[in-house]
Amino acid sequence: MTRVLECPDCGRRTFYEKRRCLDCGADGLRPRDSGVGIVQAVTAVHVTPDGVSAPNRLGLASFDGDASIIARLEDGLEAGDSVVLETPDGAGSPPRLVPAETDRDRETPTSSGKQ
Amino acid sequence: MVSHNSLSGRPEASPARFGLPGVGMTRFTGSDDRSIAELLETAAERALDDADVEPDAVDSVHVGNMAAEAFNNTSGLANALTASLGLSRASARRIENTSATGASAVLDAVDTVRAGRAEVALAVGGEKMSVAETSVATEIISRITHSQEYDQGITLPSFAGLAAARYLESYDATRRDLARVAVKNHANARRNPYAQFESDVTVADVLDSPKVATPLRLYDCCPTTDGAAAVVVTAADADVSVTACESAVGVHAVADRADPLRIESAAAAGRAAYDAAGTDPDEIDVACIHDAFTILEWLEMEELGLAERGEAWRLTREGRTEIDGDGDLTVNPGGGLKARGHPLGATGISQLVELVWQLRGDVPSDRAVDSPRYGLAINVAGFGNNSVCTIVEASG
Ligand SMILES: [Zn+2]
Repeated sequence: MTRVLECPDCGRRTFYEKRRCLDCGADGLRPRDSGVGIVQAVTAVHVTPDGVSAPNRLGLASFDGDASIIARLEDGLEAGDSVVLETPDGAGSPPRLVPAETDRDRETPTSSGKQ
Repeated sequence: MVSHNSLSGRPEASPARFGLPGVGMTRFTGSDDRSIAELLETAAERALDDADVEPDAVDSVHVGNMAAEAFNNTSGLANALTASLGLSRASARRIENTSATGASAVLDAVDTVRAGRAEVALAVGGEKMSVAETSVATEIISRITHSQEYDQGITLPSFAGLAAARYLESYDATRRDLARVAVKNHANARRNPYAQFESDVTVADVLDSPKVATPLRLYDCCPTTDGAAAVVVTAADADVSVTACESAVGVHAVADRADPLRIESAAAAGRAAYDAAGTDPDEIDVACIHDAFTILEWLEMEELGLAERGEAWRLTREGRTEIDGDGDLTVNPGGGLKARGHPLGATGISQLVELVWQLRGDVPSDRAVDSPRYGLAINVAGFGNNSVCTIVEASG
């Protein structure tokens, strides 16, 4: 889910699945590329649910269209940094925030699990 | 009987008033030997005794509980309660609204009286959380977030950590100022025999406590708690009356909100409550704020107009929200969620118990707000996807 949902009527975007637009109530939200965002705040969570290793470093990042997301942050990222959302290989893995500048187009050598 | 529910000409209409003749609660604690049913019964009996109401005079029962299925492997709490206490003439139901369950049960009781369906209603809420390991409780509570938030391992403290980081970055408040919220609320709880925490903490204690979600630490966070609280709501006036009980929903996913420092449901519920009560923030003498995390005391005060935006921290730094502070407003004289405790379904009702005690002058002098007339409570669900604001007024 490196995509964002966009309202066909008013253009408001959201990362969170819902039936209707937050702002105007229109339905039929359409997927778009989320583009580059900015980290607004960071927290390192030390008390985590079972199965989530601590510390779980989370960032709140804002993107075009008033869309924001809270997602895991790659190490070293801080508030003010430019980021993109990357969806790791593997079913069910949530997206994470990685530096926008880094070349992410390379083939990852660990993608052998695709077949 | 005529309806009080006028929708126009608001300023001239006097607010509908509902009496709060009786309140009661169990002592909040980290672990109570009694079952969830016994906790509810104890609080309910205390409120009925305080109101001098016989069980067969109760017309409706509104039981607040968030997660007895998960914590206690039980359901049907409302019916067990009516049978045990001899509330034989009452209608009964259970209310669930996550962390705002307690005030939502009160809202349901008030609306039932308002509708003429009851002369005497009993709202009682409770939670018994101690039976779960901390990790299990964290899991239960984390499940109230959006599923995509849950998938990131996000907990409620995670939202508070992000908001606190943003607040300290945006304004001149310091990490030490935030610790002072916990110091104040612990000091109030130490003087409250119904509170979970009995000891003071210092700023250094807060700053040395284990990290939970940076910059927040353990002593910035409310505990898990066992406890119950109850209030009797009547059509007839009492020494203390409810003049507004209003709820509002907010955006579910926290990141979908326009500003991470806004709890818009609290602002909306507050506006509706001030309007219904015919009062405004300047008149509030004592407030019970939903400080599940220290940062929330500031954010909610700002949403409710009890402080200017970005300025609530100054009131804390200057000691103006303390019981004997020289400010016009005392915040969380009972210790708040932070130090009185946060048994989910009981919390919103325990706020009203504290307000009634304060407005009646039923607290020892070292915990008494100076002659309060107007009290406000804000009970918040999740990290703000729903809020209930209640305003109470002393008669005379
Ligand atoms: Zn729209």
